[in-house]
Amino acid sequence: MTRYRITNDALSASLSDGAVLLNLYTKRYFSLNDTASRIWTLLERHASEDEIVDTLVGEYEVELPEAKQAVRRLLDDLLAERLIEPTST
Amino acid sequence: MEVIESSDGGGRHAGAPVGASESSTGTYWRCGSVDGVTAGPTSRLVDVEHGAELRIWHGRLLRGPGYAAAPRLARQVLARLGAVINLRSHARYHVHAAGVAAPDGRAWLLTGETGSGKSTLTYALARQGWPVLGDDGVVLERVAQGIIAHSWREPLQVSIELEAFFPELREHDALVNWRDPRHRVAVSAKFIKRARVAGVIVLERGTNDELSALAPTSALATLVRQSTFVLVTDGHAPSNLATLRDLVESVPCFLLRHTPAQLTSIDATILSAAG
Repeated sequence: MTRYRITNDALSASLSDGAVLLNLYTKRYFSLNDTASRIWTLLERHASEDEIVDTLVGEYEVELPEAKQAVRRLLDDLLAERLIEPTST
Repeated sequence: MEVIESSDGGGRHAGAPVGASESSTGTYWRCGSVDGVTAGPTSRLVDVEHGAELRIWHGRLLRGPGYAAAPRLARQVLARLGAVINLRSHARYHVHAAGVAAPDGRAWLLTGETGSGKSTLTYALARQGWPVLGDDGVVLERVAQGIIAHSWREPLQVSIELEAFFPELREHDALVNWRDPRHRVAVSAKFIKRARVAGVIVLERGTNDELSALAPTSALATLVRQSTFVLVTDGHAPSNLATLRDLVESVPCFLLRHTPAQLTSIDATILSAAG
């Protein structure tokens, strides 16, 4: 079960309609909508990929395959930007 | 299910603060004609035109090579940027925005890209008696009552090409900086030292005048982009970001697409935004 850790380069600000992420190393920033912001919050709580998908299916009107795909896509983007990294547990 | 929204309609990368990059030796940044590098409590600022250098070491400004021989204006610019860096340790953060005080005494911040009309609309308001906090920068501070904008007093500058709208500019013809692509001239305005922020307006030039509400996330992304120093690795980035977040969460934010018609109606536009 893969879990992720938020890297020291990431800085986030949660807002009522989403969040903004800053990468202290690359100096880039990202706007997250409400759904992506929820995923980020779950990552901050060390939720696994499966737990994140289950949470989204429970909270949003989304089917499991679509939720899996969306979560995977965001995780890949965050990994590519080195805003998160896998942990062993 | 779209998990990342983007202001540019496609890419997920929203952008970067104007002029900042990281290396193993610190954060490199550029502000006007000054290149800087900040690493923790030390910074090195160089006016590239005159080769003048100013260093900051634990809050102390130290003259470097070429500083004493540089023109007064270049020394002033270096000293002001040194102050911007030092203010961060006092939880005060510079943002590239104009600030004006409405008749009720509260501040409206006008932000946007260079050339979006900050200085011009600030001068239009100053001519109507609105006090000014700055036309190219203000300093933000979180207080119990909200966000305070402190004046970042620099000469107000507007393009001489606006003579048709501001006839008094003709008296300044001889003072135009023709090396400046925008042919600006310094004009006088009444300044105030600080005011509580009432709202934020992001400016964009357009083909019609349209004021629309701006979502907090979009407003914060804009302010991050206009904050050269927000990502400087001096330990104050989290507090800087939190100040900007509190600002967009505590006051209304708008996008104003504007035409020259706003030169005579920007006061009414802001008052309508204030409700």
